[in-house]
Amino acid sequence: MKKIIALLLALVMVLAFAACAPADNDETAAPDGSQGAEGTQGNSDLKVSVFWYDESDVYLSSVRSELNEQLDALGIAYDDQYAGKDQARQLDQVRSAITGGSNLLVVNVVTSGSTDVAEQILEAAGDIPVVFFNRSIGNDGQDVTVLNEHANSCFIGTDAPEAGHLQGQMIGEYLVDHYDEVDMNGDGVITYAMFKGEEGNAEAIYRTQYAVEDADKVLTEAGKKPLQYFDPNNTDKYQVDQGGAWSAAAAKEYMDTNFVTYNEASGNMIELVICNNDGMAEGAIASLQGQGYNTGDAHVVPVFGVDATENAIALIADGAMTGTVKQDAEGMAKAIAGTIGALAEGKTPVDALAAQDDPRFSIATDCASKLYVAYAPYTGE
Amino acid sequence: MGNPVANLRRRADEFKTLGPKDKRRRVVDGILNNALYILMLIFIIYTATQNENFLTIDSFATLLIQVAAYLPMALGIGGCIVLTGTDLSAGRIQGLTAAVAAVFLQKTGYANRMFESMPDATIGWIFVTIMVALLIGAIVGLVNGFFVAKFSLHPFIVTLSTQLITYGIILWFFALNGNNGQPISGLSDAYKSFVGGTMFKLGKTNIPWYVLYAVILTVIMWFVWNKTTFGKNMFAVGSNAEAAKVSGVNVFLTTMLVHTLAGALYGYSGFIEGVRSGSVAAGTGLNAECDAIAACVIGGVSFVGGTGKISGIILGVVILRIIFIALTMLGVSSSSLYIIKGAIILCACALDMRKYMVKK
Amino acid sequence: MPKDVLLRMVDITKTFPGVKALDHVSLEVKAGTVHALMGENGAGKSTLMKCLFGIYNKDEGHIYLEGKEVNFKSSKEALDNGVAMVHQELNQALKRSVMDNIWLGRYPKTLGVAVNEKKMYKDTKAVFDELGIDVDPKRIMSTMPVSQRQMVEIAKAVSYNSKVIVFDEPTSSLTEEEVEHLFQIINMLRDRGVGIIYISHKMAEIKRISDEITVMRDGTWVATRPAAELEMAEIIKLMVGRELTNQFPPKTNKPGDVYLKVEGITGMYNQLKDVSFVARRGEILGLAGLDSSGRTETLESIFGVRTRKEGTITLDGKLCKNRNAGESIKNGFALLTEERRATGIFGVLNIRDNTVISSLKRHKRLGLYLSSKSQKKDTQYYIDALRTKTPTQETKIRSLSGGNQQKVIIARWLLTEPEVLLLDEPTRGIDVGAKYEIYQLILDLALSGKTVIMVSSEMPELLGVCDRIVVMSGGRVAGEVDTAHTSQEEIMTLAAKYV
Repeated sequence: MKKIIALLLALVMVLAFAACAPADNDETAAPDGSQGAEGTQGNSDLKVSVFWYDESDVYLSSVRSELNEQLDALGIAYDDQYAGKDQARQLDQVRSAITGGSNLLVVNVVTSGSTDVAEQILEAAGDIPVVFFNRSIGNDGQDVTVLNEHANSCFIGTDAPEAGHLQGQMIGEYLVDHYDEVDMNGDGVITYAMFKGEEGNAEAIYRTQYAVEDADKVLTEAGKKPLQYFDPNNTDKYQVDQGGAWSAAAAKEYMDTNFVTYNEASGNMIELVICNNDGMAEGAIASLQGQGYNTGDAHVVPVFGVDATENAIALIADGAMTGTVKQDAEGMAKAIAGTIGALAEGKTPVDALAAQDDPRFSIATDCASKLYVAYAPYTGE
Repeated sequence: MGNPVANLRRRADEFKTLGPKDKRRRVVDGILNNALYILMLIFIIYTATQNENFLTIDSFATLLIQVAAYLPMALGIGGCIVLTGTDLSAGRIQGLTAAVAAVFLQKTGYANRMFESMPDATIGWIFVTIMVALLIGAIVGLVNGFFVAKFSLHPFIVTLSTQLITYGIILWFFALNGNNGQPISGLSDAYKSFVGGTMFKLGKTNIPWYVLYAVILTVIMWFVWNKTTFGKNMFAVGSNAEAAKVSGVNVFLTTMLVHTLAGALYGYSGFIEGVRSGSVAAGTGLNAECDAIAACVIGGVSFVGGTGKISGIILGVVILRIIFIALTMLGVSSSSLYIIKGAIILCACALDMRKYMVKK
Repeated sequence: MPKDVLLRMVDITKTFPGVKALDHVSLEVKAGTVHALMGENGAGKSTLMKCLFGIYNKDEGHIYLEGKEVNFKSSKEALDNGVAMVHQELNQALKRSVMDNIWLGRYPKTLGVAVNEKKMYKDTKAVFDELGIDVDPKRIMSTMPVSQRQMVEIAKAVSYNSKVIVFDEPTSSLTEEEVEHLFQIINMLRDRGVGIIYISHKMAEIKRISDEITVMRDGTWVATRPAAELEMAEIIKLMVGRELTNQFPPKTNKPGDVYLKVEGITGMYNQLKDVSFVARRGEILGLAGLDSSGRTETLESIFGVRTRKEGTITLDGKLCKNRNAGESIKNGFALLTEERRATGIFGVLNIRDNTVISSLKRHKRLGLYLSSKSQKKDTQYYIDALRTKTPTQETKIRSLSGGNQQKVIIARWLLTEPEVLLLDEPTRGIDVGAKYEIYQLILDLALSGKTVIMVSSEMPELLGVCDRIVVMSGGRVAGEVDTAHTSQEEIMTLAAKYV
């Protein structure tokens, strides 16, 4: 009995390893074998490795499936690797990929906002071209320095502050149009709640800051009073998911608790909810609905998110949510795939980026090796 | 505790016979042994003076709702801790069962419905879903229990492994049928009202049905722990596995069952989790076991093994939620929140271990 | 010529809850002598040594080493000051090498960082050569027999330049040849002026090796005399200190027909070989033998917690498989284990839970829940019947004294309504007064027709309580004696038969 179990265990282990091996091969081999052969033969010795910071990220999952499709269509051999939010693991993955013969690296760094990581990857890469994407590789222009120093590197992403700016703009415009409707207690000031996804994340920081600043700008220009955070004691002026998971549950629990002190009966109801992403917006809406708002004919407290996930779009269609900012997954995938293609033809990264022609894309004003994919406000219209 | 009044009187008499030095020591011991509760009381009073809404019916209702959501997982993990083990897979099991339950009960006609062929969310189908959620949880729990019991592996290792495996399954599940890792949302109204619908109003706050379910679960778990052979055996194994074996307790079966039962409880918590936050993402349940383990430990379910009470677990969950609510109401910054929570867990454990240290 | 006093322990007192373990005990060890410390189990020898090494804090008394008062906080501190102990149960890092063990905690360093393996090897070799020990310093401890590991322990003590070395039952697991070697080493150490404290039960050894003898009884000092002046009989009288007749209740049980037959038990993973014996209804059968002679293994094999390779157990003509404890309980067996703390009590649980754990079936109602009322009733019945001293049923068992803990475990087993009770060292670590009560209990069980098989290391106990004694040696049955017509010498001879 014992021996049989031991044998079974050993077998499971062998299978587990065996299962790992072909998983990579499949994706690389398929294009080479079937369509890759008669496709673009210039790409036959191109081996692209794509490094994702985490597999569970909703937006990046969309990018990934789009990108895989487009790379398959181009007949480019590639493999996807996931770091599980562990920067050290990602660096190991990058090094092993280089050893394994990858000659183009596409990297979604884990630690955003520090140039050290990018430096290390570039150092390991040597002459191999590296395309960073999505997560910023440095704050305050440091990323530009790194990109300029390494001619074989470029960055494709969104302008991190842009989402915040767009969200703030959208909120401001919405409020100007619906001011009295939103101002539930009619005191002429709109109180808001802000839910931050994660401490120390560059995108979260920008979104938290600019959503309010830009909304205030629009409001003051229209002669209205600026927004006011609902809890005068909280000097942070936001509530953060302590697990750093940008989760719906965290927003829901905060909202539930906030309602005890801040509600319509006390005349200090939260009149506006701003969230760093759509997941948290969903949680906030679940809480509001529990209190009888944002459902059916009841009063709708405007809730704004970022990402334009399918669920958020559905909620906006239902009228339970007011607006979100669309991260263009398809556009991002197209930019990356196009750049890879151009690099494969022997273009330099700067030229490769310049060759991408789409109204959604723009080259950064401060750096020629940085391409932005535009965000777009989404309110269901 | 027999006759509490007589007990108290006996202790009072005992106290009178002590010398002044011993008396002082007894008082200090008493304060230290109850330090956590004394601190909580001070904390509650302080919060109440700062925010008059803290001691209100609505505040209590909010507490009740949150406790009901966190309690089931803590009740499951409590059993594992009684066996001197732990369970790191709880959060992921919750995430998996939440996803499965959500997919089973998505709105018919919802644009992003993962499986069009799922039947409508009738009450019968909801029960099927509960059973499936419990079963999935129980199966992962069974795997945990089997490896712990059969190979005497430390539960830390076993549940760490199943945590990873379960996460892999979650990621695979979210990629099914062209879902591409999108969160699962659009839960049917029947499901929402079954779990989160208003049972009654307390003050201005709606009390959802899952509060009732949590009460039922707690009663069942109290019964299992205190009134069944399985419960007695669990404490015996946790206290001294060798002695339990010699005393005729089936240690293997008991260990398996404790983990399986825990898994089923995580499965239940997954079933309510989706409704609670409106949607289920691949990250749902991440690190949920940390809060559950902390609650158990604060409530006196000791890692020493063989000790712990259901009432303690409830208390632990209540304390953690009070801290959350109070600090939110005080508008405390997030950095202080982490520090306070960590400090409380550390103090609770230290005070707990103090009771078990052999004094020389 | 009077020799210098190396170690002086004066008026050492130590109290545990409910027990006075040491009561003003004094001990003087002179340089260049072997000082034997004798006494029955529980006389306080080990406790006294633990106070010396700081494992226990003494309540009262003083310890002087070479005239200076010392108060060691740990064995390590004692070791650093030249007081070493070779333990009965060796505390060694078994997965590490011999030299690692010897230099643990004070590795020689190169440049203050890297461990200097070469020097370690050389120094170890030097000590071994000096003591005539033939062991490779690089060998892993777990691959060596106990005797050699003990030699390593002695070498370690020597390497610390110890002035005082305590040997606690050093010969219990040694062969005759190895004992000879040990004595050579001890004599050599004595000639160098080391003071040696030698704890042993074995009279012959004591007479051979020691210069002075201190006898202890029930936690008190009884006598210190030169070894040459003391005859064996006198030592025993000093140790026992009372008429043996009062120590045991009168034997009134009458063994009946053969009830239990144990035939040809051979262990799967232990030394048991072809163990056979019978026990009668209403009989108390003793199992005697040295440590590791297989007595405990025999009981545990019968009870099914050790795997048998061969052998059968027949109870009242019916074959009992006894594959695990649960099955054995169903078949009417009960096992009181030797290590009460490790395999007997559930320390953090209360008296009631400890009492009812093996008989939960009795309290089941509607096949579903357990009645608290009937649990309380059963527990109270046995608290009264066995006169267990406890404040309440809810008291945690670990706060009771050893004797009362033992009563709770006996109650646990009696509630399973056993026919055969297997008792392994039932009076170990129990006060003398409480021992009498346990003996009475065993006799009462036999009187009520139960079969009792008991293992004990205390010869007088076996002779005083049992009807017959089966003597084991080296995992085999060496012989069987009738208690009425035997002597300690006969039993000891049998016990040494297959060693």
